[in-house]
Amino acid sequence: MRGWLAYTDITLRLTMRDRVALFFSYVFPLLFFFIFAEISDAEQGGVITQVVTMVLILAILGNGLFGAGVRAVQDRELNILRRFKVTPISPAPILAASMVTGWLVFLPVLLVTLGLAVLLYGMPFPERWVSLFALVSIGVLAFRAIGLIVASVVNSAQESAILNQLLYLPMLFLSGATFPITALPSWAQVAVQFVPASYLATGFQGIMIGHESLAQNWRSAAALLAATAVALFLSMKLFRWEKEEKVARTGKLWVAVVLLPFLGLGAWDAWTRDNLNKAKILHRDLRRSRTLLIRDARIVIGDGKVIESGAVLIRDGRIAEVFEGKAPDAKTLRAEAVEASGKTIIPALIDVRVSLGLPGGVYEPASAYQPDKAVLRAVAAYLYCGVAAVRSSADAGGVVDRVRKLVAEGQWLGAEVFKSDHAGTVAGPFRELTAPEEFARMAAHGEAYVPMLSAAEAEAAILTGDAEMFERSLVLQVGPPELIEGTKRMMSRAKPPGSREKAATAQADLDRATENLRRAWRTGVILAAGSGSGNLLVFHGPAIHRELQLWVDAGIPPEVALEAATYNGARILTALGRIGAVRKGLEANLLVVDGNPLQDIAATERISLVVFKGERVFRSALFEQE
Amino acid sequence: MFGLLGPNGAGKTTTVEILEGLRPRTAGEVSILGIDPETTIGRLKDRIGVCLQATNLPEKIKVSEAMRLFASFYSRRTDGTRLLDRLQLRDKRDRYYSQLSGGQKQRLAVALALINDPQLVFLDEPTAGLDPQARLEIHGLVEELRREKRTVLLTTHYIEEAERLCDRVAIIDEGRIIALGTPREIQSRTLGRSIIEIQLERPVMGDDLPRIGGADHPHLSEDGRLLTLAASHPARALVDLVKWLDQRGIEPADIHLKRPTLEDVFLELTGKSLRE
Repeated sequence: MRGWLAYTDITLRLTMRDRVALFFSYVFPLLFFFIFAEISDAEQGGVITQVVTMVLILAILGNGLFGAGVRAVQDRELNILRRFKVTPISPAPILAASMVTGWLVFLPVLLVTLGLAVLLYGMPFPERWVSLFALVSIGVLAFRAIGLIVASVVNSAQESAILNQLLYLPMLFLSGATFPITALPSWAQVAVQFVPASYLATGFQGIMIGHESLAQNWRSAAALLAATAVALFLSMKLFRWEKEEKVARTGKLWVAVVLLPFLGLGAWDAWTRDNLNKAKILHRDLRRSRTLLIRDARIVIGDGKVIESGAVLIRDGRIAEVFEGKAPDAKTLRAEAVEASGKTIIPALIDVRVSLGLPGGVYEPASAYQPDKAVLRAVAAYLYCGVAAVRSSADAGGVVDRVRKLVAEGQWLGAEVFKSDHAGTVAGPFRELTAPEEFARMAAHGEAYVPMLSAAEAEAAILTGDAEMFERSLVLQVGPPELIEGTKRMMSRAKPPGSREKAATAQADLDRATENLRRAWRTGVILAAGSGSGNLLVFHGPAIHRELQLWVDAGIPPEVALEAATYNGARILTALGRIGAVRKGLEANLLVVDGNPLQDIAATERISLVVFKGERVFRSALFEQE
Repeated sequence: MFGLLGPNGAGKTTTVEILEGLRPRTAGEVSILGIDPETTIGRLKDRIGVCLQATNLPEKIKVSEAMRLFASFYSRRTDGTRLLDRLQLRDKRDRYYSQLSGGQKQRLAVALALINDPQLVFLDEPTAGLDPQARLEIHGLVEELRREKRTVLLTTHYIEEAERLCDRVAIIDEGRIIALGTPREIQSRTLGRSIIEIQLERPVMGDDLPRIGGADHPHLSEDGRLLTLAASHPARALVDLVKWLDQRGIEPADIHLKRPTLEDVFLELTGKSLRE
């Protein structure tokens, strides 16, 4: 014990005197910290946790592979160890000293990295700091032990350099610390599950971003600890005091044995995709945590009020502030500025009447229609069109429930799916006119009216063979081509279109639906926008924009239409405190469009930016999700 | 003070390393302080002190730290400060190992070998590669150990060292002991004779050489002025020789009597020079 303490003391002192070791232990990680923090604008939100994760992993790998490994080989190659061989000290305290030294040397890295992140980049101090500290310690010890096992199986400094590099670079790049796992091709995503460092990366981020505890990362911790134990045991067995004692070439396979726990864990995770999904969710959270300032824009609050020029500050996924007039400097707000002169910010739209289980058309070939995927695509299409929430009805529960969950967890990027019955809302009939007394009753009872003009229009289009909707830009953008083309062909096959008589009936239906809307509005009934998407020719996403246009054509003021598609939608979904308006504290679900929809409602289709739960949605990538 | 003398490659270090427990033996029995190093090495290590031939300390370890570190390994310890005093390393105690001269490094190695007040000290070629001054310092040290009546096993390939420092010497060659005893015993036990060299005032002729009982190989240098001969009884031979000179009226300018060295012994036993 005394020998071990003295040996640890000396090892620590020697490390502190070794310039190369100091550089790689401290200067190098700090350098990376600042470089990555600066190039990723880490002060603008949660990216800083990604930077911290990367720096910690970089430092842990360096500490273990180069700190422990190189040092152990050097001591042997320079005949230093053989001097100790003739003293009573045994390998165990020497190995233990290396482990403890590595851990002690690492502590300042952890403190300084966290300190800088908190002080300079505004990272909140990790709530679960005990868990973070524990996982960091486990990580340091595991990689220290891996460094030692490498040292025990190589015969020279060169061999050790090669083997360490072989472990270091792939571990660094495939850990998810440098590149987000979700950005890698799918085969690499599977490979990542076998990389020990990746469990550290998801663990660190889970603790820092997801406020997870160590217990929630028990599998990673267990694998790391198992690797540590195996590596230490083997290092002890394979310990060599002298460079003349060589290890057989096959001895290198012992390193593989040490990595066995990760083979098991990797296989498990490649199968269940747990770790991968966690990485996806963390990545989503990271993107949602950025600080954005959308400024110099007209702001339609959603409840009928309008700010002619103002700015919206988004932080941690929520609307942190709504400024009238000039906003403070983006730098002082630590935000990324988005210039929006001439644009209008409206709350992301809410479509209260859709059927996610229906495709809205006909796929050709029919095999292109896969109900599961079509639903995923549909919610992505909503978001593409600036719709942040939909209420789905008349759907087979299972499929929708699954999508709901995926979206809620952040694994799939798409509109939030609500599932509730339609109590308190009346969907617009268009076969007959609703009596004014009925509307008066609805107004008195606070029931909402959802006229579904787009469904009525689609019905008319089917009867008249009108293919105009296939020319609409948003419809074409949202696709998919198999659906658009298939539906188009179906319509042309149905030709000759219905008789003039049929066309007249269809037009009369639409006129009645429109009239009902006008009556409801005049009576003061709460209006909400629902498109009836999923029905034939009513496409998921674009339809709500068409719905608004039909309302304005019917004489409804644009601000009323917008309120119906945002604020009132949230009201019906009983989510008013969370979505449906541009108001401080609400989820940052915004639609930024070119022009002024209050003058030209078609402007809502000219989408400049969609923000969903604080994330700037990369719209074209929505349809490339896996 | 026991010396192992032999040329490079004779097996001195191998022998010592087997004794220290550094390497396994292929045959035979070993007993150090009554312990077989192969079976109970731990207890043995605590009681011996070792100064290895090929070893190093970390570059950036300070002298005092090395002393403290090594002291921590043993159950018995001596006063490290006094040890440093004795080895004239006190003013170097805060120096890094890499800043020490060769002699200082070797003195530190000796100090570390003594830190546990060992019952048995192994000094493997402590003077190899040192300059003459440093070598003398080490000699002084070893003599001090000898005065302390400590058991020391010293290996060397310097004859003078073995002759001067050791109480008993084993000469080994190709892994075998070829002579064992006090240096004097070994010298006298051999056929080795003393060499007598006489410098003459004037040259003598080559065919006119003295015939003296008990002495052979008389040899005259080319200029006829240097006479050498080997004698097993140098006193008697000298008397005869002086008589012989006197008869011819030649004055000796200088007379040298050289006792046989361990080198001569080695040469005689193996037909090889120690120094090659």
